Amino acid sequence: MSRVLVLIRVMFANALNGVRQAGATSLLAVLTIAVVLVLVGSASLLVENMSGILDDFGAELQLTAYLDDDLSDSELTHLADTVTAAPGVASIEVVTKAAALERFERIAGGAELLVGLDDNPLPASLEIELRPEARNAASLEVLRESLDGLSGIDELAHAEEWIEGYTRAVSLVRGGAWGIGLVLGLAALLIVANTIRLAFYARRDELDILALVGASRTFVRVPFLLEGTLQGVLGGLVALVIVFGAYELLLPQLRYGLELLVGRAELHFFSVSESAALVGAGAGLGLLGSMTALAGWRSES
Amino acid sequence: MTHPASEPPVRMYHVSKSYMAGQYALHDVSLEVRRGEFVFLTGASGAGKTTLLELIFAATEPSEGQILVLGRNVARLGASAIPALRRRVGVVFQDFKLLDDRTVEENVRLALDVIGTPRREARSRVFQLLKSVGLQHRRFHHPKSLSGGEQQRVALARALVNEPEILLADEPTGNLDPELTIEIMDLIMASATRGTTVIVATHDLSLIDRYGKRMLRLEDGRIAEDHPAAIAALGANS
Repeated sequence: MSRVLVLIRVMFANALNGVRQAGATSLLAVLTIAVVLVLVGSASLLVENMSGILDDFGAELQLTAYLDDDLSDSELTHLADTVTAAPGVASIEVVTKAAALERFERIAGGAELLVGLDDNPLPASLEIELRPEARNAASLEVLRESLDGLSGIDELAHAEEWIEGYTRAVSLVRGGAWGIGLVLGLAALLIVANTIRLAFYARRDELDILALVGASRTFVRVPFLLEGTLQGVLGGLVALVIVFGAYELLLPQLRYGLELLVGRAELHFFSVSESAALVGAGAGLGLLGSMTALAGWRSES
Repeated sequence: MTHPASEPPVRMYHVSKSYMAGQYALHDVSLEVRRGEFVFLTGASGAGKTTLLELIFAATEPSEGQILVLGRNVARLGASAIPALRRRVGVVFQDFKLLDDRTVEENVRLALDVIGTPRREARSRVFQLLKSVGLQHRRFHHPKSLSGGEQQRVALARALVNEPEILLADEPTGNLDPELTIEIMDLIMASATRGTTVIVATHDLSLIDRYGKRMLRLEDGRIAEDHPAAIAALGANS
């Protein structure tokens, strides 16, 4: 075996030995990373599910173009094509006068209101669904300007306030998630770095002896970096298990609450890649924490 | 990197070391130690013995002057070059500096692990060395279960396992009783006979008397006496 391979093997063995020997300090580092990642993971899961619910809401935000009564079929087809091609339009649904009447009659008490009327008073309409990126006030204004004055459209009805509210909600949730993530991440880094620094000071004698017998800086430092990374991976795995356990435990109540509040409960846990990212974040935290702790160390020997 | 045999492995030219302005731990020290030479470094506490040894194994830099160790100028050594120098210099301390959570064998093997010596070869060399200090049967014990003399023998084995060109010992017998002191000193002396340059810091004048080797006496950071081996021996007898 070449000397380089021997050195790599010894450095890995030292890292594992370090985790084992450090005992309580090592466990503290793993738990610190786990606690931080439980907070970050829970917040991410919450934000992701809230974003999903907001996306579902967004899909229902639509513009309605009420049509002139005297529109021929060919004019309707032409108008529908024009509207479909307009900026920000995902799809349209043509609601004929007859379909509008049918819908109205289905509404509780709707049929009674129509008693005594000979003609169908309801206009035909185009229900316009917006693309996700166009669900904001500015895009809506652009679309409105392009539809205004089109022959055959009598009136445009839209939910501008709804859309503005929706946009604000999405920005708030995503911005909040970034903010919380950043603050938690920085706090985590400081806590982890200090925890690893404690482990480092606990083993200062060993480091000084290694320096004394001619260990290179790499030989001394790499095991600590590996150790930090390993602690991070373990912390990430522990966090993943805790977040999953809490999610499974709270899922029935969450579903019930959401169904009461918004009438839907499409909740989901992290995907495999997202779970891996959480564990990876733990590894990154451990590595960065070790690097920060090592930055202040200088051999006394 | 090899060092020409004709050149003294330790050379100091007007070396001073100051930790605080105006206060010198070492002041204007010049000396040479020849290959295979055995030197006692003596003086009262605070005379500068430890500082002088630290300068030789590059644990600290001189404030003034030049130090050449195995042909390398210590003052100009970069951080990455220090480990390479230390692999050629074995060091033994009064407090042994052993790792209590490692076995005797693992402690000695540290010096071989850091240079990537294959495990089989390392174990064989460690066994031979432990045998030479009479501790092969204790290789799987932990330092805490050994006597002071045994711990110092482990420390000595670790310092010698890389076959260093220089062996430095800072009060190696300071914690040992007279019988163990002789035992350790005989082992250190044996390494000098194999060609290793040895510098032993001690305030135990009886040792200097007993072995009659060259003696450097430091006083307030300066060399107050430099007795060659024979004169030291005569002095010890007078």
